Amino acid sequence: MAAASSSDSDSGRAESSEASSKWLDAHYDPMANIHTFSSCLALADLHGDGEYKLVVGDLGPSGQHPRLKVLKGPTVLTESPLPALPAAAATFLMEQHEPRTPALALASGPCVYVYKNLKPYFKFTLPQLPPNPLEQDLWNQVKEDRIDPLTLKEMLEGIREKAEVPLSVQSLRFLQLELSEMEAFVSQHKSKSIKRQTVITTMTTLKKNLADEDAVSCLVLGTENKELLVLDPEAFTILAKMSLPSVPVFLEVSGQFDVEFRLAAACRNGNIYILRRDSKRPKYCIELSAQPVGLVRVHKVLVVGSNQDTLHGFTHKGKKLWTVQMPAAILTMNLLEQRSRSLQAVMAGLANGEVHIYHDKALLNVIRTPDVVTSLCFGRYGREDNTLIMTTRGGGLIIKILKRTAVFVEARGEAGPPPAQAMKLNVPRKTRLYVDQTLREREAGTAMHRTFQTDLYLLRLRAARAYVQALESSLNPVSVTAREPLKLHAVVQGLGPTFKLTLHLQNTSTARPILGLLVCFLYNEVLYALPRAFFKVPLLVPGLNYPLETFVESLSDKGISDIIKVLVLREGQSAPLLSAHINMPVSEGLEAT
Amino acid sequence: MAEERLATRTQFPASAESQKPRLKKAQEFPILEKQNWLIHLHYIRKDYEACKAVIKEQLQETQGLCEYAIYVQALIFRLEGNIQESLELFQTCAVLSPQCADNLKQVARSLFLLGKHKAAIEVYNEAAKLNQKDWEICHNLGVCYIYLKQFDKAHDQLHNALHLNRHDLTYIMLGKIHLLQGDLDKAIEIYKKAVEFSPENTELLTTLGLLYLQLGIYQKAFEHLGNALTYDPTNYKAILAAGSMMQTHGDFDVALTKYRVVACAVPESPPLWNNIGMCFFGKKKYVAAISCLKRANYLAPFDWKILYNLGLVHLTMQQYASAFHFVSAAINLQPKMGELFMLLAVALTNLEDPENARRAYAEAARLDRCNPLVNLNYAVLLYNQGERKGALAQFQEMEKKIRLLKDSPSLEFDAEVCLFISAQEARWPRSWELPCRSGRRWSGRNQLKTPSQSTGALQPAKLPVCSSPWALTRLWDRPCRRQLRTGNSHQVPEQQPSPPSRRLCPWSQSPPQEHSQLKHQPRSEKHRSRTAPGQGSSGGDVAG
Repeated sequence: MAAASSSDSDSGRAESSEASSKWLDAHYDPMANIHTFSSCLALADLHGDGEYKLVVGDLGPSGQHPRLKVLKGPTVLTESPLPALPAAAATFLMEQHEPRTPALALASGPCVYVYKNLKPYFKFTLPQLPPNPLEQDLWNQVKEDRIDPLTLKEMLEGIREKAEVPLSVQSLRFLQLELSEMEAFVSQHKSKSIKRQTVITTMTTLKKNLADEDAVSCLVLGTENKELLVLDPEAFTILAKMSLPSVPVFLEVSGQFDVEFRLAAACRNGNIYILRRDSKRPKYCIELSAQPVGLVRVHKVLVVGSNQDTLHGFTHKGKKLWTVQMPAAILTMNLLEQRSRSLQAVMAGLANGEVHIYHDKALLNVIRTPDVVTSLCFGRYGREDNTLIMTTRGGGLIIKILKRTAVFVEARGEAGPPPAQAMKLNVPRKTRLYVDQTLREREAGTAMHRTFQTDLYLLRLRAARAYVQALESSLNPVSVTAREPLKLHAVVQGLGPTFKLTLHLQNTSTARPILGLLVCFLYNEVLYALPRAFFKVPLLVPGLNYPLETFVESLSDKGISDIIKVLVLREGQSAPLLSAHINMPVSEGLEAT
Repeated sequence: MAEERLATRTQFPASAESQKPRLKKAQEFPILEKQNWLIHLHYIRKDYEACKAVIKEQLQETQGLCEYAIYVQALIFRLEGNIQESLELFQTCAVLSPQCADNLKQVARSLFLLGKHKAAIEVYNEAAKLNQKDWEICHNLGVCYIYLKQFDKAHDQLHNALHLNRHDLTYIMLGKIHLLQGDLDKAIEIYKKAVEFSPENTELLTTLGLLYLQLGIYQKAFEHLGNALTYDPTNYKAILAAGSMMQTHGDFDVALTKYRVVACAVPESPPLWNNIGMCFFGKKKYVAAISCLKRANYLAPFDWKILYNLGLVHLTMQQYASAFHFVSAAINLQPKMGELFMLLAVALTNLEDPENARRAYAEAARLDRCNPLVNLNYAVLLYNQGERKGALAQFQEMEKKIRLLKDSPSLEFDAEVCLFISAQEARWPRSWELPCRSGRRWSGRNQLKTPSQSTGALQPAKLPVCSSPWALTRLWDRPCRRQLRTGNSHQVPEQQPSPPSRRLCPWSQSPPQEHSQLKHQPRSEKHRSRTAPGQGSSGGDVAG
């Protein structure tokens, strides 16, 4: 068994071999033009003929042309445009009547569009939110021309600062206007009643009173104003309303509405709130300290993917059970339920183009896909029970069928050492020469050491001598005398025969300016000509860099170069303060001379 | 009031009139939050391009009123490193909805990232007024205070955060405060709690393991490091630390296999190559050891520990001239360590420069506080030069140090030295045996516990303190043995341990030297006998 499981995990890693794969490639269309999220995918027997269809709320290539698509097998059965981008799609049974064909609900903007038999059946719109009474009052006064736009603006700003209830769009827009535009805006809009409308962010279904597969379900909506609503499946009235501290992004429900249910809502503030039937407010809170990217319930465990590339398992009371690190960012997650083997697992589509399937902490299978998978859905499709439907970032559609013989086996215990452990260490090799030298050092180590020490002393001595000499004859480019702290460096520009020589002189003292300096060039007059070999330096203000430019003409056409010595002198002193030797480059413009 | 209103009205009669025709068709306003969900979905999937496109569209449609779009745009800016821009956008958000603590938190966060800790604290305090029970605010306030070096305040805030909601990050920060204050015990206390709370966090486990290692509690250190490796078999820090402990126990092959993982992940880590080098040293593959150590030295030229190990290996290889250079380079970087000078002295002795060797020993003896080997080697040198008095003084000094070591319970002393001392006490009985001394407690077994940072030398860079004094004694006893050994070309062959214990191997294998410094055969014999307990796992009697 152990051997089998290890080979299985290996095959899971290298899914390439067709034979060992658990999946049959049923269909792959890279140009299917489906751009959607997992929440907008649903599988249902829409016509009651036992043939399951795929419902896709398609956002369109750039979120421009939202469409409702129904696929049968690899082909699109129907396609109809949507008024706004779909946030979620769900199929559910509305009533007990025969034939028991499920209805399709599509949440988009503030509305839920319900289709039966693929025909529009009902449109539910979220009720308007109560406007701020103060704001309402203000606009009423405006209507009766009792206050002018400026006062209105002031009052509205006061409300915005303090009030709990946010302002309506109309007021917000008004606050943005320039003085000149206000009047027009007010006269245009004052007759309208102010509205506050919210939108649906997420939707799921909840069984009404029976746990059966084909029981009537309620719709559960999450809204932008941080509320959860449960809708009655027949009358589309709001059965229950719960409020959350943040905007819900993903919902996961278990239980029956009339009996007992648990609702987990992953929210935009990075927390997951767990509510129960009789609670109007969250009962437990899971703080992820990262954004959740998916929420799936497997039996009693809430599996959450975070945007820090980790998968966490939590109990229904918010206790953390485990954490798994993913090799790449998680893009989408969904539940894999293989009823025949009563297996529930989590599928996670990763940014590296793989889909990982986990049962608790254990990796069951890896599917490599040609493009990054952005939405996943598993279930009965057509007449095949275990079908995996994936759509990719480029708009492709991949359909895979789980082989009937396939059994997911967990890799038992540890996954073994990381593969890197088998790699050989890259130890640098030593050459024969090195070995020979080692041998020589062993033999004559003492002599080597002594020679080295002697040479080192000699070197130090020479360095010291040269240094002293340089100090004595001011050959160094930085003057160290207390009276004239100076720095000099020279730059030669040009290709020749005319060069530009720039001396940069800097007074490095903190406060004292230096006056009365001279610069003198010493050079071979056969080789070079300078317009001025001797000139005065202006007053040097401390800290500033003085570039002193002069031109040097190369006279030789033999391609020889020489050294030009620069001396900085003080008036009345023969010993230079500073000196620099400039190695002149060879003139490259020979023919010009 | 009425007059004023009139006045303002009359100011713009023209504009009011010109707009009149439009009055009939007042258009519906789009819902501001219409696409927030889409922005959020793109954001959490890290599809920032798509996200930006939606944000742009949404902001155009709502004329910059959509707060969430601005918020996410700012988050993306911050992820892209444009912190200043993100700060401005967050401030816009805070203007759009001043009651939202989240916006303020983000403003503060951006300020924090810009290094404006004081400003960040102010904003966080404001946010805390709006939301009393947010652990994140408390935590971040604590972190800001850490950066401002106000540890007490930081401590309070972090405890508040833990009180509100427990998070690993808060524990880590709290532990860091204690470490910064140099309070290891408290830090361990905190990390213990943290590990209890989140037993699978490898960072916590590794840090706790390293702290235990630092305190010399090896059992627990290994336990935690091992746990960390179970959860994350490629954890760089944990592997290095665990590997160095394995080296201490002589499991070089196991340590090497572990290091392979690190070598793949972090191929340019100086501590890694140092440890690999010392593994090869332990396995007596000296050329490989030198190669690896030289690579480590190339990667971190100013790390004296690597230079020290290089010096040691070269001494083993009898490349005294090279050893001299490495050790003197190490001394230039770390001039306060007696052992380094001792090593230099050993090299100099072998380079036939006893004058300088003596000076180096004197410096070593001056700097060193607890390593008896320094004095021992010094004494040997003096004795060889015929200065019996000086040698005696050094020997007494050494005995003092050993007594000290014996008294301190945490440190266990090298049996070899003890044997040597007992031998010395016996004074020159040529046919020297150890009947009376064998009962001493420091048997070879104890050696196994000594942490040889020397070989393992470098813990992951975070905790340099790991190089406990012990580490060094380990390193040091090699050179001294070398010196003691010199001159005994005619050793008893059967004493050569077939699988020699790690610490002795370099010396036992080195070919006989002709230095005439040490003529004391008994001593060298003693050393032979020492090797036996060193390798013996039973570690029973030292009778040899």
